[in-house]
Amino acid sequence: MPDCVSLLLGGPQGGGLETAMLVLARALARAGYGLLADREYHSNIVGKHSYVHMRVSPKGLPRSLEYPVDVLAAMDAETVFTHFPDLAPGGVLVYDSGVSSKRLDEQASMDEAARKRATEQLAGVGFDVESLAAHLRDSKGVRLVPVNFQQVLAGVGERYRLDPARLSRYVSSILVGAVAAVLSLDLETVKHSLSVQFKGRPEIVEPNVAVVEEVARLVPGSAKVPLKEPEPPWSEVMVVSGNDVVAMAKLAAGVRYQSYYPITPAADECLLMERYEYVELDGFQLGPSIVLQVEDEIAAITSAIGAALAGARSSTATSGPGFDLMVEGLSYAGMNEIPVVVTYYQRGGPSTGLPTRGAQSDLLSAVFSSHGEFAKVVLSSGDHEEAFYDTMLAFNIAERYQVPVVHLLDKFLANTVATMPVPDPEKVSVDRGLLAKPTQGYRRFDAGFAVSPRAFLGEGPPMWYTGDEHDEYGHISEDPANRVAMYSKRIEKLKLIERELPSEQKVAVYGSDTPDFLVIGWGSVKGVALDALEELERKGFEAAYANLKLLHPFPKQEVVKLLRRAREVVAVEHSYEAQVGKLVAMWTGRLVEKSVVKFTGRPITLRELVEALELVFSGKKERVVLSYGA
Amino acid sequence: MARSPSDYRTEVWVDWCPGCGNFGILAAAARAFAELELDPSKVVVVSGIGCSGKISHFLKVNGVHAIHGRAIPVATGIKLANPELTVIVHGGDGDLLGIGAGHFVALGRRNLDIAVVLHDNRVYGLTKGQASPTLPYGVKTKALAYPNVHSAVNPIALALASGYTFVARSYAFDAVHLKETLKRAILHKGAALVDVLQPCVTFNDVFTAERYRKLVYHLEKEGWDPLVRDPSEAEEKLTKAFAKSLEEDRIPIGVFYENPHVPTFEERIAKRVSAYPQRSPAKQPIERDGKPILSKELLKRVFSEFVVEVPAPSHTQVGT
Repeated sequence: MPDCVSLLLGGPQGGGLETAMLVLARALARAGYGLLADREYHSNIVGKHSYVHMRVSPKGLPRSLEYPVDVLAAMDAETVFTHFPDLAPGGVLVYDSGVSSKRLDEQASMDEAARKRATEQLAGVGFDVESLAAHLRDSKGVRLVPVNFQQVLAGVGERYRLDPARLSRYVSSILVGAVAAVLSLDLETVKHSLSVQFKGRPEIVEPNVAVVEEVARLVPGSAKVPLKEPEPPWSEVMVVSGNDVVAMAKLAAGVRYQSYYPITPAADECLLMERYEYVELDGFQLGPSIVLQVEDEIAAITSAIGAALAGARSSTATSGPGFDLMVEGLSYAGMNEIPVVVTYYQRGGPSTGLPTRGAQSDLLSAVFSSHGEFAKVVLSSGDHEEAFYDTMLAFNIAERYQVPVVHLLDKFLANTVATMPVPDPEKVSVDRGLLAKPTQGYRRFDAGFAVSPRAFLGEGPPMWYTGDEHDEYGHISEDPANRVAMYSKRIEKLKLIERELPSEQKVAVYGSDTPDFLVIGWGSVKGVALDALEELERKGFEAAYANLKLLHPFPKQEVVKLLRRAREVVAVEHSYEAQVGKLVAMWTGRLVEKSVVKFTGRPITLRELVEALELVFSGKKERVVLSYGA
Repeated sequence: MARSPSDYRTEVWVDWCPGCGNFGILAAAARAFAELELDPSKVVVVSGIGCSGKISHFLKVNGVHAIHGRAIPVATGIKLANPELTVIVHGGDGDLLGIGAGHFVALGRRNLDIAVVLHDNRVYGLTKGQASPTLPYGVKTKALAYPNVHSAVNPIALALASGYTFVARSYAFDAVHLKETLKRAILHKGAALVDVLQPCVTFNDVFTAERYRKLVYHLEKEGWDPLVRDPSEAEEKLTKAFAKSLEEDRIPIGVFYENPHVPTFEERIAKRVSAYPQRSPAKQPIERDGKPILSKELLKRVFSEFVVEVPAPSHTQVGT
């Protein structure tokens, strides 16, 4: 997408970067642009380096992130030292001229390895911000926008009589003002965005607006990266993170019990649900929902199971370490045919791993989680909009087939802020499955049905559940004939699911109908893969992308058909093992020996994927490991 | 309609060892239900894993035989989703105080209206007699290779420290006392613990029925007053209950502490959201004719903070 502009905003954690991103994102959206903004941060509250990598498009939602960036806006010296190689020739560097004498070796919060890399890169250039900026200007034609942060803040502070100790809170608006001016963004949209960000607090809005205006004046006309005239495909749009989207979808789907134990990057979803635990609007009532922070992830899954038994649509959200604790509960849900949904945001493992970075390395763990054999469904979503509808769908699958469902997402989606068309919940029905009005002698696990009619606790005569093998009433039975009947009944629901789910909910295919190359991926690979294939098509490669949405039960028939048509198959994944390829091999018998993977915890970006796929398509490499991004 | 204990018993054959303390607990539970005239469809017994866990199959009320240690969180989900249900947890000492100790503590902190019946025989029976968290240090029951190297946790003191607002102990073979204590625990609004001492005839040859008969005495008969009549008494009564829980030469049974003044978890939520618990998670419409109640228009209004209007472009630009 040549009309897109890429930006990178960086600064210390807790320094207002999040605010700067949201203000810019809403302003850009209001001005008619689509955007995708990945947030990269350390497991730290204050001080470590964080950044936002954003792509802005005049024609709706950009699907992928791209390096190099056209604008690098730095709150501090560390950002300049860390990201200068990301800046495109002729790009714009916004930096604090007040720290221009800061040296690389003074950056205490910088990782030793990163400092060492920068030291090597800067040999012969100079190790302070000023020398580096001059070097970028002279060698790459970078246009410099030095802004004296202290001076701007002091001026505005004096005008509005702000507490000098709190001036640093306005730093975010320095970046906003600079970037908005570089992009020639309409001032009114920025003002509007600030008024939304600091709603009801005009005393904060006004000085922020003043900062924006002041900084905008400092951006020279020669340092512009004007955006193309927008052609928005919408007249209203949502600016949301993946966490936001899933939370909204859960409430729309009728989830009224959500339990969680705090964990990155799942907690934000729960916090949003908590904020919306009850809404009354002109007689319409949403909720109340119980959103409960529990003592551990075991309590999260098991209390959600309890709520489901009582008749609530219930779920929990977690990431890898928490999911590991939940798997015994998942097995219980399978045994007792309990509809419960786990939203699983993968992050970099193993163990605590990269707790604030993304990954897709838990695919096999999710699919094969829990002891014993039982029906469980694993779904994935390729972008924000898919995540909305898939979240709603997950509960329908859970209740219709009385199975636990794992909705396998990742940190990239969770924390990426994107423009998304306002979704329509009514596009998805609410299917609660076969419900019974129980009478005396009710058999919860009636073997006369593939999926026995379900009643809720408290609705009629007593019913029983047990994790032991059980008879139709839910009482313990170790009888071999009963075992075979009940065990098979539970597992065979998988066939039913495979048969009944529409194929577009299993695997979505994009690109050539008769591809030479079939790229298989799932989840967050979608957007960047589609953009990459478009570029590769222009280079003469005929390819298609299969976005695998139903990961378990595996859509064998659909995938076998796709494989037949493709000469080469390449798996793309944020992992080491390219696990999706192994899953394909297991279910279809076709080995997937080519792969492009990335396991730095940072998202796959467009250029690196195009280059890697080109190497693979042209037979020069079988496996490419990507690593771009700080 | 008067109910009889047999109305609360299933036909399922009870497979505990003859003489097991669980029989006393089962009988007392059924009698307590009958005397309280509880509607079996509105009662849920959630049990853990082990001999005690099977009790949910023997009682003719809703039974959820959960996984090891997790009866309390399962019960928590049930109760919060449908607060009109009477929810009772049965679990062993290993289940509730070993693998599930974190949940045991959390229930007290919430003061959710759930009664917990602790089957306390000081051994892991179903796995053949290992030491449980309530077996004292240095005691060697018959299946142990060596005397116990762990010290015991005191269930009464732990419950008091965790915030349970009804804390009692009873004895499996003191039928009337146990039944009455269970009734009070069920009627109590808030988290209740009944620590039921029970012999394990097969694996615990130290804490036997004979020993308990000798050591057990009734608190009430010695003028013990557990009830917090005014919140200002809570600290004093709690302190005394702690001290009482440490008594070992004789074993007090009865209610140690009862405080009806602490808001239950349901009340804490209702304080914030008055529509709860009437509109509970299990008892509210989430669809109309198969459609979600949240239409696109409503979604936009409810989540308006995320919606950005895109007006026709204007031409004032920043910095120009």
